[in-house]
Amino acid sequence: MALLEITDLNVRYGEIVALRGVSFAVEEGQVVTLLGANGAGKSTTLRAISGLAKPASGDILFDGKSIAGLGPEAIVRMGISHVPEGRRVFPGLTVKENIMLGGSNRRAAKAELGREADAMFDLFPDIRKFSGALGWTLSGGQLQMVAVARGLMAKPRLLLLDEPSLGLAPVIVQAVFRIISEIRRTTTVLLVEQNARMGLSVADQGYVLETGRIVLGGKPEDLWANEGIAAAYLGGHGKPAAGLAAH
Amino acid sequence: MDLVLQLLFTGIGIGAVYALVALGFVLIFRATNVVNFAQGEFSMVAAYIMVVCAVDLALPYWLSFIIALAGMAVVGLVFNLGVYYPLRHRTYLPVIIATIGASILMANGVLALYGPQPQVLPGWFETPGIQLGPVYLDSQYLLIIAVTVVLVIFNYWFFEHTMLGKKLQATSQDKEMASLLGISVSTMIMITFIYSAVLGGLAGLLVAPLLFVSIQMGSTIALKAFAATIIGGFGDVAGAIIGGLALGIIETFGAAYISVPYKDGFAFLVLVLFLVFRPQGIFGERVAEKA
Ligand SMILES: Nc1ncnc2c1ncn2[C@@H]1O[C@H](COP(=O)(O)OP(=O)(O)OP(=O)(O)O)[C@@H](O)[C@H]1O
Ligand SMILES: [Mg+2]
Repeated sequence: MALLEITDLNVRYGEIVALRGVSFAVEEGQVVTLLGANGAGKSTTLRAISGLAKPASGDILFDGKSIAGLGPEAIVRMGISHVPEGRRVFPGLTVKENIMLGGSNRRAAKAELGREADAMFDLFPDIRKFSGALGWTLSGGQLQMVAVARGLMAKPRLLLLDEPSLGLAPVIVQAVFRIISEIRRTTTVLLVEQNARMGLSVADQGYVLETGRIVLGGKPEDLWANEGIAAAYLGGHGKPAAGLAAH
Repeated sequence: MDLVLQLLFTGIGIGAVYALVALGFVLIFRATNVVNFAQGEFSMVAAYIMVVCAVDLALPYWLSFIIALAGMAVVGLVFNLGVYYPLRHRTYLPVIIATIGASILMANGVLALYGPQPQVLPGWFETPGIQLGPVYLDSQYLLIIAVTVVLVIFNYWFFEHTMLGKKLQATSQDKEMASLLGISVSTMIMITFIYSAVLGGLAGLLVAPLLFVSIQMGSTIALKAFAATIIGGFGDVAGAIIGGLALGIIETFGAAYISVPYKDGFAFLVLVLFLVFRPQGIFGERVAEKA
């Protein structure tokens, strides 16, 4: 049984249909990457899983139990942690406080959360020296590290990462992806990316979303192998995807 | 010089009351993005509970105090459930209008239950005060200042050094993100309303012996506290406290040196001057809160 199983998921924002009949599964221990252009529905998929968006129909099974329609607070307690688009680090709290709050889904005392946050800096050494800095003072790459560290503090079985490379310099993107390959040893990851090359480099399985539908899915090597597909959806020949709009 | 010290003492005492109410304003504003127009009514309702307990029922003063504060916690809870919660997914406007409605309801509810005659509430202490060198320290003012100092320290400790305080801050900065971390946003907002109602109530209990307890006391206090939050920079916790103290001092000196009948007018003159010349408050808006 897959850890996460989505069947025939439909999500609407008022009149706008953001997802139509999306189905896919994430096996325990895998990294699955969702690709797609702006507005394809990638973030909406993650938001439906974490409870921020209510499905109009369809089902989401986590560990065999339906979580469709539950609120975000209940879902993160079950073990799904969502690092949303835009990092959303609390600007008026320090880095360490942000990270400690990531453990709010568990019953842990303040001192324990503090120790765990300190230990988290081993995985994110670049932000250790900013431990006491307020969120709003950080750069984009640092914010992304804090956001991922905070997401991991939930000790999730499934980590949802929404465009962690967005707006980051290439070296920082590589640092972020090094961390993702560390995380995958212990945690199942559902990753959303527009950067197809990076996104698929860490993936066991990839899916391409186009205007709310899954149009392609398979192993990264199979996705790359199909020349036509690679050119149309993945930006071709190992170049970062420019997005579907260009197509 | 002696007069200056005396006025300073009085100004800080009355300013501390504004500071407590202003703090309640700011905490609710930060948590919900809504200005609670019923904040002053919390002070008024608490004062009436106090009159009923301490005067009408002749219960011990300390017990009446505790009953009034506990009553305000209940009022805060009911306010949260009745006024904010049903409208929480709407824009701020319906919520603001609901707080105005609640304020009218509370004022007229008390009027219907208790009648229009202003009441007198004695102070906590038998001794009216002590003479310290040139300054006469009125015991009720001393109490106000002492309680406010303790509360400001408690408030700082609570928000800066407890996980609950951090969760409250996180909720006021980004509710959706807070909920993704497993923080119960509705519980955090409920706690904010209860805490703010108790703060407003406490201010009412402390100031009541200096004034008459009347239906109108709520709106007067609320307007002063609102002016205090503008002076301190709207939405700023430290600013609310400093703004409250500043307003109390300005008002007291204005009354002594310029005109007693226009005492209340100074608060609004200062408010208008700030809105025109320095709308961001004394300290200016902090970047953290804008981000
Ligand atoms: N809150 C909202 N209200 C209305 N429509 C929305 C909302 N959020 C997203 N949409 C619409 O839903 C569709 C899917 O959006 P979504 O954010 O999931 O795309 P995405 O693949 O994450 O895009 P991006 O790469 O730009 O982040 C788009 O058409 C978008 O305009
Ligand atoms: Mg998106």
